[in-house]
Amino acid sequence: MVASSPLVKMQSLHKSYGDGAVQVLKGIDIEMKPGERLVVIGPSGGGKSTLLRVMMGLEQIDSGSITFAGQPYVSSASREKKTLIDTEVRRSIGMVFQHYTLFPHLNILQNLVLAPRKVRNEPKASAEARALSLLERFGLAAKARAYPAQLSGGQKQRVAIARALMLDPKLMLFDEVTSALDPELVSEVEHVIMQLADQDMPMMIVTHDMWFAKNIASRVIFCAGGVVVEDGPPEQVLGSPREERTREFIERVFHIKQ
Amino acid sequence: MDLDFTIVLRYYDALLIGLWTTVQLTMVCIALGCALGFVTALGRTSKNFALRAITGTYVELFRGTPVLIQLFWIFFCLPLILGVELSNFISATIALTLYMGAISSETFRASLKSVGSEQLDACIALGLPRSVQIRNIIMPQAVLRAVPTLLSNCVSLFKESALVSAVGMADLMFVGQNISNNIARPVEVLTVVAIIYFVIAFPITRAVTFVERRMLIRLAI
Amino acid sequence: MNYTFDFSSIAIGPLLDGLFVTIQLTLAANVIGIVAGFVLALLLMSPFAIVRVPFMLFVEFFRCTPAIIQVVWFFYCVPMLLDVFLDPLMMGILALGLNLTAFNAEAYRASIQGVPREQRDAGIALGLNPLQRIRYIILPTAFRESIPVLLTNGIGIFQQSALVAIVAIQDLMYEGKTLATATYRPIETFTVVALIYFAVSFPVSQVVGLIERRRALAAA
Repeated sequence: MVASSPLVKMQSLHKSYGDGAVQVLKGIDIEMKPGERLVVIGPSGGGKSTLLRVMMGLEQIDSGSITFAGQPYVSSASREKKTLIDTEVRRSIGMVFQHYTLFPHLNILQNLVLAPRKVRNEPKASAEARALSLLERFGLAAKARAYPAQLSGGQKQRVAIARALMLDPKLMLFDEVTSALDPELVSEVEHVIMQLADQDMPMMIVTHDMWFAKNIASRVIFCAGGVVVEDGPPEQVLGSPREERTREFIERVFHIKQ
Repeated sequence: MDLDFTIVLRYYDALLIGLWTTVQLTMVCIALGCALGFVTALGRTSKNFALRAITGTYVELFRGTPVLIQLFWIFFCLPLILGVELSNFISATIALTLYMGAISSETFRASLKSVGSEQLDACIALGLPRSVQIRNIIMPQAVLRAVPTLLSNCVSLFKESALVSAVGMADLMFVGQNISNNIARPVEVLTVVAIIYFVIAFPITRAVTFVERRMLIRLAI
Repeated sequence: MNYTFDFSSIAIGPLLDGLFVTIQLTLAANVIGIVAGFVLALLLMSPFAIVRVPFMLFVEFFRCTPAIIQVVWFFYCVPMLLDVFLDPLMMGILALGLNLTAFNAEAYRASIQGVPREQRDAGIALGLNPLQRIRYIILPTAFRESIPVLLTNGIGIFQQSALVAIVAIQDLMYEGKTLATATYRPIETFTVVALIYFAVSFPVSQVVGLIERRRALAAA
């Protein structure tokens, strides 16, 4: 059946820094089904962000492979210590970063239309029309001609999400997208991600915000020490975790929050 | 002693001709030097070892020696080596362009480096091809970031250009010194010449601060 | 190119004498620049405009005019205006020293103003009086911060010192010019002279680069 075939399949991903001195990923196997919203939680340095960066082909891996919709696109040629990435397949994946990474010398509209025009050769008029309607939807129409430096953190992050959506991704990666925001700006960004969830956009989210995790996840993975410690529905992992390490982490995080 | 600055007015046309030479020389060398500096910066950051070695040696040699000796070398040695006569203007242009190229290559190198790796991550995440990354993202940001320092380099070049008087080129400094010697009025003439240099250089240094502040506000870079 | 190089006629003795003069000039100008530059920086930050403005003009004048006119002006005009006659080396030291003072003052000022606000706040919170805050917190930090720029400026003056040859101080450049004329070997002479300058400046600029890289690493 098509529905049950995985959208993403990671197989024994290994990654280390400094010739194996520091191992960040020690064999990650994750299958993600279409329509799933996967939230990855865990302590800092546990490999969560590295996992997303590997999925985007921003980091080299030591061994392992990833397929997307059945097509292999990240694999390691261990002898040459080189990671092979199929850039065509990667174009179906969009990513949003913690620090916005908007292009500071381009205005908001230009930030949005650059990739569609250069990657897909979309005509300027059509790209701009799509960009404006996206900005409208995110409540940013008035800012189309502003520069990133003139926007608040929450606005910048919503623009970054819109920019990724311009390429019609089949999967969205969110890497701690609210961690750099002032607390009062967090919800406007989370709201936009919720909107995408309502449209059944598959997504993988790394976050420290447990409230957000509980609300958006269809599945939660607790990652620590470079391995998947616990994997299950949000009620289980966040509510009554089976693993001791997960429970400790959850208790500590909620304790800090209160 | 009594000073009489009005005496300088009598020579204002000669001073203007000298100034015009200085300005022409500076402008030409700014244009050529910036281009040379950018290409050199690319060479210094290239993966090719030979290219890196050549551009690195050039920059270090020109930054590590007095401009005066560079001028002497180009004026007296280059014609001997090439076996052709070079006009003063050509020799001065070669020397000062090489100097401007060396200091500006450092400026461009720093600005290229300052385009953060996060910007590259974003490029990759958007699937932008390498040529687009360079042309649309890295180059414009690097050039924008380089502008304030490039302006400072222009001021340095303008000031260093006065050294061409030492090899007999009739720039503002040379004309000033000539007049001063002829009428034995060094205080008046040299002071006026210094003020002319100041009046041109000072506004540019103010512009540097202005441009920096504007870029900080508008682009936060 | 059909030129045959011949370095045999280049007498290294006079060049070394010249280098000695150049180094004397450089060191003495640096002593002036490092000490007077600091005092000037404090004056530049005076709360009273009547103190601040004249010194700002002084600095801007040195930064915005060619060093060559500063040296020439000094040699011709100071004796006439003030009726004092110093030996040429002394004049050269003073001219270059004043130039360096202006540039170093800017470096000190930038690093003093660059001491983070929190450092001052912490000093206040610990009950230090204003003088103690300057003495124990601001100055040590600022001085350390300004070292790379002071070194760069110092080696800059070593290179700029070549132009005192124009007013007949017998420095390295002057000896080089004399030798080039005497031997009819300008290429060899000027190349050797350039290499001598390079051999002194290059290591210093490498040290500056090293300090800056280490600081960038420590900051990251």
